[in-house]
This record gives sequence, C-alpha cells and structure tokens, in this order.
Amino acid sequence: MHGSEAGAASMIFGLNSMWAAAILFVITYAAVMTEKVNRAIVALLAAGLMIVLGILNQEAAIRGIDFNTIGLLIGMMVIVAITRQSGVFQFLAIWSAKKVQAQPWGILVMISLVTAVTSALLDNVTTVLLVVPVTLLITEELKVSPYPYLFAMIFSSNIGGTSTLIGDPPNIMIGSATGLTFNDFAINLTPVTLVIMAATLIPIYFIWGRHLKAAPEDRQRVMQFNEYEAITDSRLLKQCLLVIGLVVAGFVFARFLGLEAATVAMTGAALLLLLANFGHDAEHQSKHVLEAFNEVEWITIFFFVGLFIVVHGVDGTGLLKLLADKMLALTGGDLTATAMVILWSSAILSAIIDNIPFVATMIPLIKAMAPTFGGPEGLMPLWWSLSLGACLGGNGTLIGASANLVVAGFAERAGQPIRFMQYTLLAFPIMLMSIAISTVYLYWRYL
Amino acid sequence: MTAETLMNPNLVALKPTDSVTTAADLILQHHLRHLPVVDEQGRYLGTFGIYSVLQLTLPSAVLKQGLENIAFVMETAHDLAQRLRRRHDEPVRNWLTQDPVVYPDTPAMKVLQLILQGHTSVPVVDKKTRRLKGIISSWNVLEILMRERA
Repeated sequence: MHGSEAGAASMIFGLNSMWAAAILFVITYAAVMTEKVNRAIVALLAAGLMIVLGILNQEAAIRGIDFNTIGLLIGMMVIVAITRQSGVFQFLAIWSAKKVQAQPWGILVMISLVTAVTSALLDNVTTVLLVVPVTLLITEELKVSPYPYLFAMIFSSNIGGTSTLIGDPPNIMIGSATGLTFNDFAINLTPVTLVIMAATLIPIYFIWGRHLKAAPEDRQRVMQFNEYEAITDSRLLKQCLLVIGLVVAGFVFARFLGLEAATVAMTGAALLLLLANFGHDAEHQSKHVLEAFNEVEWITIFFFVGLFIVVHGVDGTGLLKLLADKMLALTGGDLTATAMVILWSSAILSAIIDNIPFVATMIPLIKAMAPTFGGPEGLMPLWWSLSLGACLGGNGTLIGASANLVVAGFAERAGQPIRFMQYTLLAFPIMLMSIAISTVYLYWRYL
Repeated sequence: MTAETLMNPNLVALKPTDSVTTAADLILQHHLRHLPVVDEQGRYLGTFGIYSVLQLTLPSAVLKQGLENIAFVMETAHDLAQRLRRRHDEPVRNWLTQDPVVYPDTPAMKVLQLILQGHTSVPVVDKKTRRLKGIISSWNVLEILMRERA
C-alpha cells in the first residue's frame, strides 16, 4: 500500500508530501508528550490536517482506522463499566487478604496477583481504580505503610496487562494488525509474564516485604471484614461473570469460530447490556445504557482514531518503510539484533513516552520488514519483542502508563505521595530486569 | 425578604485551632448541627458540624479515597470510638467543609434553595470584609414562618 494512497509527488507549501507528513507526525508526537493540549484533541486535529493538506483523502483515512482495535476497546470498556457496579473487585481484594490470614506480606502478594489477573482480562486503569481504595483501607487497619503495596500494584497491573491480547492497548493493536489471536498471546507471552511477576516480587520483598509487620489485633480487624457485603448486586455479578466467561471463551475459540476480537467484545457488551436491563421499563433502560456508554473512555478512543489516521498518512508516504530499511541496515538484517533493538528501545521509550503512539508507529514499520525475514511468519519474534518492550516499559517511570498515574493520585490523597524520582530510581532498574528476563526468553524460544 | 431577616445573629463560632473535642462539646451543649469556623478577624473559613464529627469515626481510606460501599467493614462501637479518640486533638481546620455563603441582601428564596439542596445551614457574610454576620438554619426559617402565621 506504500505510496499508493498518497500522491507521493504532490507538493504542499513547497514540501513534498513525505516531508509534510513527517513534520506533522513529529509535531503530533511532541504535542502529545508536552501534554499542554489534551491528547485526543491533538490526534484528531493532526488527522484532520493529514486530510486537509492532501496527504490522505478521507476514504484512505477511514481505511487507516483499525476498527477491530476500536471495537475491542469499546466493547471491553462497556463490560467493565457494568461489572464494576457489582462490587466484585472489592470482593476479590478482601477475599484474597483473608486467604492469607491478613499477614502484611501475604496480602501484598495476593493483591498483586489479583491486580495482575484482573488487568490481564480487563482494563488496567479500572482495576487499580477499584482495588487501590480497598488496599489503602486494609493497610490503614493493619497500620502498615501503603507505599510498597501501591508500588507492587503498578508493576502487577502492567505485567498482567502484558500477558494477554486484551490486557493492554499495545497488545490489542498488535493482535489486530497481525491477526495474532488470544491464544497466540497466551501461549507466547503468559509464560514469561509469570516469571517476571515472580521475579518482581523478589526485590519488593527485600526492600519492604521482610519489614512489614502487623499486630494480631489489627489483623483480626481485617479478618472480620465480610467480603460478601462488598457485593452490591449479586444478580448483576452472576450476569457479569457469565458474560466475561463467554467473552474469554469467544477469544479462545475466535479462530475456530472465524470471529474477530471486536465482534466478540462488542457482542459480549450487547449481551451484558441486555441481561442487566432485561425486564426494566424504558426510562430505566435508557438511564442505565447511557451510564454504561458514558464510562467508555472516549478520550482514549478518539486518540486512537486520530493516531491511526496520522500513522496511516505517514505510512502511505513511504517514510516508515524508509525508517525500517535504515533500522535493518543498522542491524545488518539480523533477526536477533533487530528483535533486541526493538525490545530494548520500546522498553526505554515506553517508560518516557506514551506507548500507544509508539506502537501505532512501530506496527507498519515492522510490517515493512517482512520481505527481509521471509514473510509475515518470520516477524513473530519481533511482535513479541514489541509487545514485551512497550507493555513492560510502562513500569519504568510514574508517567509510563495511565494506571501508574491513577495509583500516584491515590497515594497523594492518602498522604503518602509517590515522588517521580524516588519511584524511578527503584522502578527503572526493576523494569530493566524484566526486559533482561524477556531477552533471555526471546533468545531461548525464538532466536 | 432577604437573608438578613432570616439569619440568627447570635453566633456560636469555632476558631480554626479549636480541637475536635471542643467542637463536639459545643455541638452537644447547644444542640447545633453546624458550627461556623472564623479566623481572628471574624472572617468565615468553613463549617464544622455534627456530620464532621461522625465522619471522623470512619477510616481515612473512606474519607479520602471515595470508597462507595463499606458495608463489609465489620466494626464495633468501640472501634469507631477509638478512631474518633485518636483524632480528638486534631484542630477543626483539618476537617472543614465549605458551604456556599450568602450576603445580607441575598433574596430569601435563594437561601431556602441552598438549605434544601445542601441540607445544611447557610452562613451570612459581609460582602466586602467576608466577616461572618449570622447563620441561617432550617430552624430559624421555620420559626420565622410560624410566627408569621400567628
């Protein structure tokens, strides 16, 4: 498709369209990074300019939007919006704390696992938004510092998110662009994320875990929590669990059923809306459907829409192909070297910049390398490198992922602020350790 | 009719440095649900009332992190009282709520709306100096209206 949709020879303000697209692209990146203007506005404006300046026409712009990613995101967001009302997140946090007799280190491990598993299946931000307040309540009752718990939750939400197709936006984008399925992600990424999760808990244990102590009477108070009271609507909970179960089954059997991920998620969302509203009058239904739709993160969705158009515009000019060739020249066309460059550079860049535009750019760039590595099949190690780097890199700094910022917001209000440098000094090395583990894994399994 | 007609100018007010215990005693002694807090110049800073005291029996995670459902926390009256006791020396300025204020010439209808919306008392302050001139509670309004009927 390179060069086919854009008039490569056309001139804009005396620049050829490749340079116009490149300049627009760089400005978009810079504007997203400075955060002076909301990122959805930046992306939509840049997308509009791509069309207005004639780099793309509207039809080509629409073709550039990956509606499979958009549909999957919206579908899962609706499912989460309804599920969160049932109180299941709070239930899981309390239940897991009681399973370990409310011992401080045991709770840290359990809460990390709950966060990782729910982040793997649902959205990371919602997971931490709902689990952090209960965790802060538990640490308050135990009279222990919440800091190590919050630190561990940031890591586990990002590590959990790395392990599945639907866990983190970069994986959703990669899966959608390459046709890699839920099972492909589970088989290729889940094993290494389990190792990384366990390895991450080791430094956390030595830095904080071994010093965590709580008095028996304080532990007793946590043991008296009645987790079943956290469930606010048990009928709704059963409906949510049923639908989430069906959706996960849908992802697992997607290839067999000939379905795309967006179809599974959107149909699941529609089914859950039907079940949750069945038998209610029209007014009640409108109110509840609207509430669920209002919880969809439209900023993220429109950011994606705009970005897809911008990246498609840049891709169409042949610029990304050019960059891919440059990168291959650097690595000498060697698969191992290319995979390592992608893994480590994605990790370090994702710690500093938003990983969504980065991955959106890398996808066409990696696709352009297919001829060098013997077709799309040969690119497999590169996709896993991109996913591991972009998802895990988010742990490196406080601004690496949106879930990190949500946790930091809670910490601030709890009077235990997570300082940027203080976090980075510990988190960046632990993030690098996870990338080192990924390096060994990729080398051992694919290279 | 304006706010000035409705207000009670005989004020029982707190200083920002007063402790939670002092406030609780005054609330019980005068049977006042909301006490205004004023600085040395008599300027209105906020309100501390019976709900503020009851709030302090809850864990901080509930107060500051917006946990919507806390039915799962099984505590005894002793636990709640303990928590309040731990905070009894804290100055009330840490726990002020900001109510919307009105001026002496604010129309009574506006005042009634504020009382009904916020289920609270409405402080009346001087437009220029921000000094507290009186307070309007639902009791004041009802008393005045009953007198009117007679």
